[in-house]
Amino acid sequence: MQLNFAEPVREHHFKLRCFPSSDERQKISNEHIKIFPVHFSNVEKDSFGNLCIYGTANQRHNLFAVNVDGEAEINSDGKIPAAPNKIGLFKYETDLTRAGLSLREFHSNFETMSYMTGYERAIYMMNELYQEYFYTPGVTGIFTSAEEAFSLGRGVCQDYAHILLALCRLERIPCRYVAGMIPGEGATHAWTEIFDAGTWRMIDPTHNKICDDSYIKISSGRDAQDCAINQGVFYGGGSQTQEIKVIVNEILPQS
Amino acid sequence: MMALAEELHEYSGGVNELLARYGVKFGIYKNGEFHEQLFPFDIIPRVISSEEFAYLERGLKQRVFALNEFIRDIYSDGKIISDGVIAEEFIYSGKGYLAQCREISPPKNVYAHISGIDLVQAKNRTCYILEDNLRIPSGASYPMIARELCRKSLPSELLGKYKVADNRNYAELLRRTMDYVNTGGISVILTPGRFNAAYFEHSYLAELTGAHLVTCDDLIVEGENLYFIDYSGKKEKVGAVYRRISDEYLDPVNFERQSLIGIPHIFDIYKKGNVALINAPGNGVADDKGIYYFVPAMIKYYLNEEPILQNAPTYLPYYEQDMKYVLEHFDDLVLKDVAEAGGYGVVFGNKLTRSQKEEFIAMIKAEPRRFIAQEVIDFQDLDIYEGNSRVPRKADLRAFVLMSDEPVVWKSGLTRFSRNPDSFIVNSSQGGGFKDTWVMTEEK
Repeated sequence: MQLNFAEPVREHHFKLRCFPSSDERQKISNEHIKIFPVHFSNVEKDSFGNLCIYGTANQRHNLFAVNVDGEAEINSDGKIPAAPNKIGLFKYETDLTRAGLSLREFHSNFETMSYMTGYERAIYMMNELYQEYFYTPGVTGIFTSAEEAFSLGRGVCQDYAHILLALCRLERIPCRYVAGMIPGEGATHAWTEIFDAGTWRMIDPTHNKICDDSYIKISSGRDAQDCAINQGVFYGGGSQTQEIKVIVNEILPQS
Repeated sequence: MMALAEELHEYSGGVNELLARYGVKFGIYKNGEFHEQLFPFDIIPRVISSEEFAYLERGLKQRVFALNEFIRDIYSDGKIISDGVIAEEFIYSGKGYLAQCREISPPKNVYAHISGIDLVQAKNRTCYILEDNLRIPSGASYPMIARELCRKSLPSELLGKYKVADNRNYAELLRRTMDYVNTGGISVILTPGRFNAAYFEHSYLAELTGAHLVTCDDLIVEGENLYFIDYSGKKEKVGAVYRRISDEYLDPVNFERQSLIGIPHIFDIYKKGNVALINAPGNGVADDKGIYYFVPAMIKYYLNEEPILQNAPTYLPYYEQDMKYVLEHFDDLVLKDVAEAGGYGVVFGNKLTRSQKEEFIAMIKAEPRRFIAQEVIDFQDLDIYEGNSRVPRKADLRAFVLMSDEPVVWKSGLTRFSRNPDSFIVNSSQGGGFKDTWVMTEEK
């Protein structure tokens, strides 16, 4: 990731959340992190368990760059254990996942199928959404809410995820936003995790599918804001641009 | 006490003049403009007997102890939710819950360092708790300075006649609270600045406790610690921050990112236990008006004791049974929007026109979690002087509880009164006045 500033900045305080870490599903190894420039930095886990690096770059700079590389090994049934007493907050709407009139109306047309589990229900709603919503970059922004994005009828992965979360939360199904990566070159990807019988299970509303082993998770939270890749303050700077470039190549297992 | 009021009355003008000269003011934002106005002082004190105080003291300690335990529980295991005592919706969809505070243990596990508990006395002398303020309760400085100025203006034999507990020890209690959680270094009082409603209080408390009065620009996180930088550029490590700015403006890297104030990374090092924040971030989860309903249940749950002090009878329309009661007794109740504070969002059922009432009921039905309803308590009026005549007015009491190794109840408090004879709302932001609160040291 890199930030370009039109005018030099100083006393740049940052908090970065762009480092995949190992969990029950994925094993991360050979992870190398370079941050430039940096005066001081430290590692922590945020309250959602995401790996963060926070710090300060004091000297004047026009460019702030973060480079992360490493290997991820995933071979799992896609289930991540979840403590039942820690999931309550994921049932409730946030500013970005609040269903307004248009989402409520969309939801009211769904069939009620009480025999379904929350997870099955989420998959049903993902299917319904996929029929109605179209992938188009450039229509929405990072602060666009689920309701706004749905009203526009088009959006990107973040919007698909927020809309599905808003629908699940109308039914009080515990669900999380996930920021991560998929094979290929491009930007970061976003999908969701749905609580199911003591575990989180990943589904990707943008592609209308259950996530397989090619999905690498970076962070999770209630919505995109909890997974912000970069949050910072600084003096100076004028206009700024942020570039994020992700490359994921598959390494075949050695026999 | 009739004689007391008359004796004091002739000094009223003098004390108010001194208060004005000392700049005892209260700031109000109205229509986007900042106005500073004098906080009218009435010289007749609220008098609390030592016996009454002992009872209040037991009840307040119990309550604050349970509230502190509740905040700890909510940000760790959430046992009170899984045991079904509090509906989780009231926690997670309330504005006071801060997800960033999950799994954090503040120094010495103190969350509610300074609590301002608002209560009223009914005509039958029973005390009812109206509100718990656990974020940044203000107001202790007003009875302190009023007492000090009375001591200056009144003949010493007059005050000496009454055995009143000295209230100058508030600064000492506050100092002890700061020292108890201090992680090593100096203690500071962090003010948003001169344009804050309670700036007088910030500077007064700094002066009396010996803590530095600082703004965000004076503090910086370097490495794993917080430092105060003085005018000469000298750095001193800070171990405790009594911050008078709200959570969302505390740290732009962790909270409100559009904020221009705040200290970047202060929350990160707080999480690591390298500085104490007074009061703890995230306390809003416990002083929400919806959560108030559950405090008696909290006391039973955490302490296995019966609550000593009662809540005003309160109904949550969220519960079907309560909703029914609220609709049937609408005219007898006062309705409060849980998201509002400072006397805003308070509606008396019997003051609404028919159409307003219908509109309001529709709102409650649409968002039952947003409102609480309470019985209107027939407060014990307190006399105030209006010119030379004594008139009764509604008044409440904000009691202050300071936590160090145990909760201590300050032997005084802020008594606020409504200047409008028909109003029950005493908040200073709504133009109310204040009185000193005398706790007697022995029965006569």
